Amino acid sequence: MRAPILYLIAAAGLLQAQQVVTPTTEPVGPVRGQDVGDYNITNSFETGYRWALTNGDRGMYRSDVNYGNGLRLLGSSLTVNSKDGHGRFFDEILLTTIGLGNDPYQSAVLRIRKNALYEYDLTWRQNDYFNPALTISGGAHFMDTTRRLQDHDFTLFPHGKLELDLGYSRNTQDGPALSTAQEFDTRSTAFPVFEDVRRQWNEYRLGARANFAGFTFIARHTWDFYRDEPTDHFTGVENATTINDSGSFTGLYRTQPFRGRNPGWLGNLFTRRKRWAVDARMTYVSGHGDFALNEAAVGASRFGAVANRQISVVGNGARPNLAGNFNVSFFPTDKLSIVSSTAVYNRRISGQNYYNEVDNGTGLAQTFTFQELDVRTIATDTDIDYRLKKWFGIFADYNYSERQINEVEGFALPAIPGSTFHADNLQKSHLNDGRLGFRLRPLQPLTITVDGEIGRTSRPLAPISDANYHALNGRVQYRTRQLQLATEYRQYYNLNAPLSLASFSSHSRTYSGSASWSAKSWFSIDASYNKLHLDSLGTINFFAGVLAPQLQTGYVSYYLSNLHAGNLGMHFSISRRADLYAGYSITKDAGGGRIPANNDPVQTLLSSVETFPMTYQSPVARLSVRITPKLRWNAGYQFYGYAEEFHLLGYNQNYNAHTGFTSILWSW
Amino acid sequence: MHAIIRYVLPVAMLFAGMAHAQTGYVGSNVCKTCHANIWANFYKNAHYRSIASGKEPPERTGCEGCHGPAKAHVEAGGAKNTIPHAFSLMTPKQVAEDCLTCHASSFDKANIRRSEHTLADVACNSCHSIHHSATPKYLLAKAQKDLCYGCHADVRAQFELPSHHRVNEGFMNCSDCHNPHGTFAPTTRMGDRPRMVAQALNNEEPCLKCHIDKRGPFVFEHPSVRVEGCATCHNPHGSPNGRLLRRPVVFTICLECHNGSGAGVRNQGVDIQSATHNLLDPKYQRCTTCHVRIHGSNADATFLR
Repeated sequence: MRAPILYLIAAAGLLQAQQVVTPTTEPVGPVRGQDVGDYNITNSFETGYRWALTNGDRGMYRSDVNYGNGLRLLGSSLTVNSKDGHGRFFDEILLTTIGLGNDPYQSAVLRIRKNALYEYDLTWRQNDYFNPALTISGGAHFMDTTRRLQDHDFTLFPHGKLELDLGYSRNTQDGPALSTAQEFDTRSTAFPVFEDVRRQWNEYRLGARANFAGFTFIARHTWDFYRDEPTDHFTGVENATTINDSGSFTGLYRTQPFRGRNPGWLGNLFTRRKRWAVDARMTYVSGHGDFALNEAAVGASRFGAVANRQISVVGNGARPNLAGNFNVSFFPTDKLSIVSSTAVYNRRISGQNYYNEVDNGTGLAQTFTFQELDVRTIATDTDIDYRLKKWFGIFADYNYSERQINEVEGFALPAIPGSTFHADNLQKSHLNDGRLGFRLRPLQPLTITVDGEIGRTSRPLAPISDANYHALNGRVQYRTRQLQLATEYRQYYNLNAPLSLASFSSHSRTYSGSASWSAKSWFSIDASYNKLHLDSLGTINFFAGVLAPQLQTGYVSYYLSNLHAGNLGMHFSISRRADLYAGYSITKDAGGGRIPANNDPVQTLLSSVETFPMTYQSPVARLSVRITPKLRWNAGYQFYGYAEEFHLLGYNQNYNAHTGFTSILWSW
Repeated sequence: MHAIIRYVLPVAMLFAGMAHAQTGYVGSNVCKTCHANIWANFYKNAHYRSIASGKEPPERTGCEGCHGPAKAHVEAGGAKNTIPHAFSLMTPKQVAEDCLTCHASSFDKANIRRSEHTLADVACNSCHSIHHSATPKYLLAKAQKDLCYGCHADVRAQFELPSHHRVNEGFMNCSDCHNPHGTFAPTTRMGDRPRMVAQALNNEEPCLKCHIDKRGPFVFEHPSVRVEGCATCHNPHGSPNGRLLRRPVVFTICLECHNGSGAGVRNQGVDIQSATHNLLDPKYQRCTTCHVRIHGSNADATFLR
């Protein structure tokens, strides 16, 4: 009886959501491994060759997918477990890796643990990030950087009455990036320059957790340090590409170092009793940053005159950040839960700079600028969950919050006494939000959840912010070990009106249905369909004109997205010797609904960006054949096809790519 | 003192043992007689440490630590309904209560009672499989993304758009940004903030944990970014538009806020686009070509450098 269940679980495990073609999923369930002394060891390596053939816009392919050619350790797994839980130095070692050897997405996860004494967790990740930027933004801002992240956590006496934690995280990003610099005249062309990105963030953590008298107390101190040392360098000649602009660029040197530090404290106290629970948290971070900018540019102005410009800026910024949460839960009966949450959040960001500019040999006065942005939020939230019957429950939630934003701007020319400007802008807003829903379980595997939410905000921050909104959600889910069916409808509507001159509305609807059926131990199927609809309409005011820019007030920004997404995946197991997975996914933005273009050039421009019809599809097939109980041969193929119909600049970024791999999986 | 140790303690232990026998605990060794397939791998399970420690009381040890005293089950010769805590027969609330007996003291589960999953009857064993887990770490029933996609098909569709965070590629997980066990009440973006978003870096948006260069502090902050967050301009899961942007072209994103209408902290509205910028000129349609430091700048109030 147990064996078929295990195979069903294994089949379900193999039937993963549509994903990249590697690594090959290992079956779940069967006992394996070798005993060495008091330990059991399991190990697997999947190594092979990955290939990719691309046609069309390779920059866009690298931005979306980025797999290349070469040998890879596509995946590996190692577990070492003590059999009696009393290993001498450790009880568990777990190491898994993905994509080592030059894949753009690589990761390794390591855990070493000795029961009741220590736990060590490491997560290491590397991402080769490539972005050709938006062709529609002129192709600028190309990036080809590598980001590496690592998190180390060491816990002493885990799950004990007193637990000590040490942690370290590191995040680096480096590599070339194309940026732009605008010099000599703010109406001139922005010239491309190469920037060498070098960013590094380090965080150190020290904390403790103590349990006493049913209370848990957590205290943690963090220190984090950030440094950013981009350098821009350009030599050569670059001419303006726009009409009536004689600007040119013959050299730029720019360095922009930044150093930041953010020491912080976190305290947490919570307890859970039969009829009540309390959870209180407070964090405080004292952020600070120092920066400098040194820039020198040489070239010609928009009118062709020789131009040079030197800028130096020094200054600093501070960001004290305080947050507190206090949650009280009551369980007066087994059927009723009431949770009251109060949150306080206070952030003050202030910075100042001294700006010096020398233009064409003319010394300009030093400028002193400072700004401050304060945000204070007090929010209360009450959740009630009442289970009238085992099969029926209702839940409700009311949220009230008050937010105060204060912006202070200051400006002075130190060389000119009295030349100061100071503005203090304060905005307060209130949010009232309520939600009501019910949960129905007429049968053990069947769950129906429906809820609705309505919210009102006074004085939203931005024209597109949530102001008067409501949401509806409905979900039906049928779930057994073999069959899972789900369907969902979600609607969100936000109206931000009336503003004094404009209004904005946004309406999204999501329909989804999914099915997953593990019919036999050798066959399972998984399918889903989603329709994601979004339309927004916002009044926009701007300057435009055929001869000279004039204020335009009669236009709207209209955006319509009609995304259809489908997935189908099937898994076959052939005589327990081979596993075949075949899948297909497609997302298609049907667009539609454009306001017709006419003789008005402004309306023609706006109409051209109202929708973004495109198709992105990816069939995949994967075969895994058992050669011996410890050895499998795998092969896979995945196609990526991207086709857009945007055509704003006269060409599209379309591509198609054939990718695949063949590998050997050795596991014992 | 010696007399107490010599005479009183053994008697007390005897009574304690009788008490356990009366409450029906039989020990995991009895369970493995029939459930050998589960027991065979159980030493690899994190819950095995309750057996290995040898210090836990019977109600927190091994099989009976979760399933309750097994005496009746043994005497009945099996049958699910004789297991005091048979998880497949329990309501989601009962499942959560049982797991929280031990796991409530974990910081990341402090808000589980107000989490969306709890309200929707998604219990611990909806995602975790104690005996047949696909991932030794966290004992998940499937790879994390597949668990999440199982219910959130619309999110899966978003991650299959051309511009997306690398979840399908295995580079990151849903839990890098979300806490499936619930989070504290939102303190940024107020009530409209998605409820399961994990706060990172001492209560800041999780985006900033990786995108460290956007964190600042900057002399010139972009208020909408700092106050309402990255989702003002980006769709974090995926987008048909490059760089996860909400719109296919940059200027429409900018102009929807920068239209001089009555909003924003300056009370008279978010600044309108400069009168020198002719939107019919293509170079002014690409706002971030010049305003390269759009997330915040230390040198220029209009984010030019």
